[in-house]
Amino acid sequence: MREVGIVGVGHSKFGKSDVSFLEMSAQAALEAMDDAGAKTGRRNHIDQVFVGTMGAGMVARISGLASALVDTLNIRPAMAETVENGPASGGSALKLGYMAIASGVANCVLVVGTEGMRAVTGWEGTDFVATMMHPEAEYPYGLTLPAFAGMFTRLVMDKYGVESKDLSIIAVKDHDNACLNPVAHIHRKVILERITNPAYINATNPLVADPLRQFDMCPVSDGAAALLLVAKDKQEEYGFGDKPFIKVAGVGSATDTHVVANREVPTDLLAVRLAAKKAYDMAGVGPKDVDVAELHDAFVILEVVESEETGLFPRGEGHLAARAGKTALHGEMPINTSGGLKAKGHPLGATGVSQIVELVRQLRGEAGERQVPDAKVGLAINFGGFGNNVVATVLTAE
Amino acid sequence: MDQMYAYKCNKCGKLHYPRYVACQNPDCDGREFEAIPLGGPCKLLTWTRAYNLPEGYMMPWLNFGIVEFPNGVRLTGQIGFDDGIESGMELLATVGKIRDKIIKYKETVEEPQYGFVFVKP
Repeated sequence: MREVGIVGVGHSKFGKSDVSFLEMSAQAALEAMDDAGAKTGRRNHIDQVFVGTMGAGMVARISGLASALVDTLNIRPAMAETVENGPASGGSALKLGYMAIASGVANCVLVVGTEGMRAVTGWEGTDFVATMMHPEAEYPYGLTLPAFAGMFTRLVMDKYGVESKDLSIIAVKDHDNACLNPVAHIHRKVILERITNPAYINATNPLVADPLRQFDMCPVSDGAAALLLVAKDKQEEYGFGDKPFIKVAGVGSATDTHVVANREVPTDLLAVRLAAKKAYDMAGVGPKDVDVAELHDAFVILEVVESEETGLFPRGEGHLAARAGKTALHGEMPINTSGGLKAKGHPLGATGVSQIVELVRQLRGEAGERQVPDAKVGLAINFGGFGNNVVATVLTAE
Repeated sequence: MDQMYAYKCNKCGKLHYPRYVACQNPDCDGREFEAIPLGGPCKLLTWTRAYNLPEGYMMPWLNFGIVEFPNGVRLTGQIGFDDGIESGMELLATVGKIRDKIIKYKETVEEPQYGFVFVKP
């Protein structure tokens, strides 16, 4: 198969967008194209666009988003498809971009992940996200993603001794990292004492889905991110030769039961394990080779369990690693240097692409104050549903 | 609605909830199921009290739990009481109203939904 690499990245400032959903998406795409030196109109080389979004049709009331983007960017007649895989839509869009080039169907692919979450009320947003659940066994009950995360957290706490304070330690770490990331939603340091002291915890860090508290989960954000992928054998010809070629070395995804109660081992995230194994095997690397990881921490507990399912830490020890500072920016295994979903924000369809933007910046050595020294191998886990469809990606620097 | 059901594969006997179109036993390819009444005693595996609810719930919180029945079927439902909820406790699965309204295309309509509500034995 052909080698596929990333030569351009773009990323909107996550938070509350002050431009339209389409314009926000297009601006991130243009930034990635400019980063690579890609042109529009007659000089365009992009022959395929994949746009990952979960709610463009439901929330932003725009269907056929990929077609709209191709038009506004003036890169017609590129092939264009919109991809929906819940909160893993972005990771899926990248995977399809890789497949399109590797197979020879396309040579140069623009991948965009985007979501406008703040155009609707919190209640409507919660309901929209809950539509991922089983339409008979889960959704009608009023269940939400935070409710499932709360029940999952309780199981993991009971089984492995994870404490509420461990989750807060990770939240503080993520907020520290986000303060160094200009595109993160939240630029605010958090003091551990302030969100854990029993004397006032219910005021500063209220329960959302017991035992989960506000700082144990991500904010609601608008945002878009974009990547320009090219075949290695076309990089020079298309004029992207000046850019580092960050290789998409491994992609993998896996599914698990739609109904959460039917998971074989309720504390496992099987699809994370299977997706990561596929991506590692394809890249010819293992967890010990990973220098920097972006894990899907819509709920902080997921960072803990994903760090175990991906083999970065032994099972039941992810929280101990975080407690010991190993996952901090200058720890032995930095996780979520971008601030993670927790503090950078989680515009659903944008997240999987945003994770890759961060890894590309790390592997290029362009991550500024949050740079991990000599980062050569990056891992991303993008988590759809409550873990029923997960995409893993391994990137390597030459 | 006054009864919920599990679905027994006519070929291998595996019990399912909810209803599937293909048997979930990896070694079976059954597609026919018999509806078996499901309810009564069960054990609470985990639970949460959720404060941020979807549109249409006019209450401060809802309690949810995942239970396991003696026949091995596991499912998620609402917990119909507030005090003394603990993982591992014995419960009774009953049928009750779980929602007043549902969202259909472009409108929210009054259409009560029924499902599992767990109560103390």
